[in-house]
Amino acid sequence: MEDVQVVAALIRRCIAGDAAAWEEIVRRYHRRIYNLCYRFAGSGEDAQDLTQEVFIKMYKTLNTYDDERAAFMTWITSITRNLLVDHFRKTKHDRMTDSLDVPVSEHEDAMPLSHRMEDHSPAPDARLQSRETGESVHHALQKLSPELREAVILRDLQDMDYREIATVLRVPEGTVKSRINRGRAELARLLERTYKQVM
Amino acid sequence: MSGETNKAIECSEFDRLLMEALDGALSGDKLKRFHAHARACSACGPLFAEIDAGRRLLRSLNEVEPPAHLVNNILAATAGLDTARLELPGRTVALQPAWLDRLENWVAPVLAPVFALVRQPRFAMSFGMAFFSLSMALNLAGVRLGDVHHVDLRPSALVRQYHMTAGRVVKYYENIRFVYEIESRVRDLKRATTPAEPAPRPEHQRKDNNTSQHEPKPERNSSWGDNQPMLASGRQDRLVTIACASRRLV
Repeated sequence: MEDVQVVAALIRRCIAGDAAAWEEIVRRYHRRIYNLCYRFAGSGEDAQDLTQEVFIKMYKTLNTYDDERAAFMTWITSITRNLLVDHFRKTKHDRMTDSLDVPVSEHEDAMPLSHRMEDHSPAPDARLQSRETGESVHHALQKLSPELREAVILRDLQDMDYREIATVLRVPEGTVKSRINRGRAELARLLERTYKQVM
Repeated sequence: MSGETNKAIECSEFDRLLMEALDGALSGDKLKRFHAHARACSACGPLFAEIDAGRRLLRSLNEVEPPAHLVNNILAATAGLDTARLELPGRTVALQPAWLDRLENWVAPVLAPVFALVRQPRFAMSFGMAFFSLSMALNLAGVRLGDVHHVDLRPSALVRQYHMTAGRVVKYYENIRFVYEIESRVRDLKRATTPAEPAPRPEHQRKDNNTSQHEPKPERNSSWGDNQPMLASGRQDRLVTIACASRRLV
């Protein structure tokens, strides 16, 4: 059976009340949703709560999924994205006090970004694979506007195609491409600026 | 833009091919012309370099491992939920989103600024005080919030409730009337059995006596002398009282 058919069968079983089918859905998609939440929200704790919320919402509305309108992954990503936008609005005030010296998350050491960036390597490209660079990119990602952030996350981290992203974000494909490119360029500029400040 | 005059490719064409180039979908002559323009154009070249650097940085991010207990937490959180909606017999996957979700999506952006305002500490304090006052008032009125969800709001139940309440009121009224009747009978019996008292003096006689001699009025408070003004009454009354008092002094 193809993956689409497997998922459709799982959904049908789940709607019929099969707990094992629901567990299979959770196991299949929790990693991807957690990563999406983590990259958007920035914190592992928030990502856990949000992932849980996504699955609760999914469980309650599973019977509204239409396999003819969108792939299951696109549908899940839409739910996740809506919850992330809500979360972003709710926590707007908290982020105003955020600074460079605040640790990003529990996935990193408790060292602030300004300390982590005190690296003596000459160029960012040389540190591309390093853990510190990954953390710096993750932190810079949080500084992008939510529109640009969600676009680059869906494209470059979730590997979704432009049509799927357009469906999730409910904007035309042209807007999606423009946002992705602006997001990438803005991220590169932010990191370059931060390195220049620190070094 | 300096690249507009480039022979190989123009800036607008460069923009159009940008995504394909980044996704690796360009090849052959097109790709060569694209890179030639990127090298020659002072605007498009740096922009392409920035976008490409951003893309590579993002793609360098590794997948994060979710916490081990996350799946169990999700299963525990969804285990207690009502699945009645999902378990309808013969129901297939619906084609329309739930109306509640559509309403929520429509209402949420409108109410978001209101909620943001309401969540401010000063409003929270006001709501807290209002809630406290309301709960105090309800408590004093004998309303218990715990009983509210037991109230049956079906029309038939409401009609029954109305008739029961009306019956209780009528019964209460009848009981009171019965007590009053008994009391009046007892009073009549007492009056019939006790000897007759001398009748009170007629009203005009008392008036005549008042003109000749000053009798103190029994109901007046002794601390208030005749010549003291009534400070607590209205301005007009006070003036009248003062005038009366001064006339008496004269």
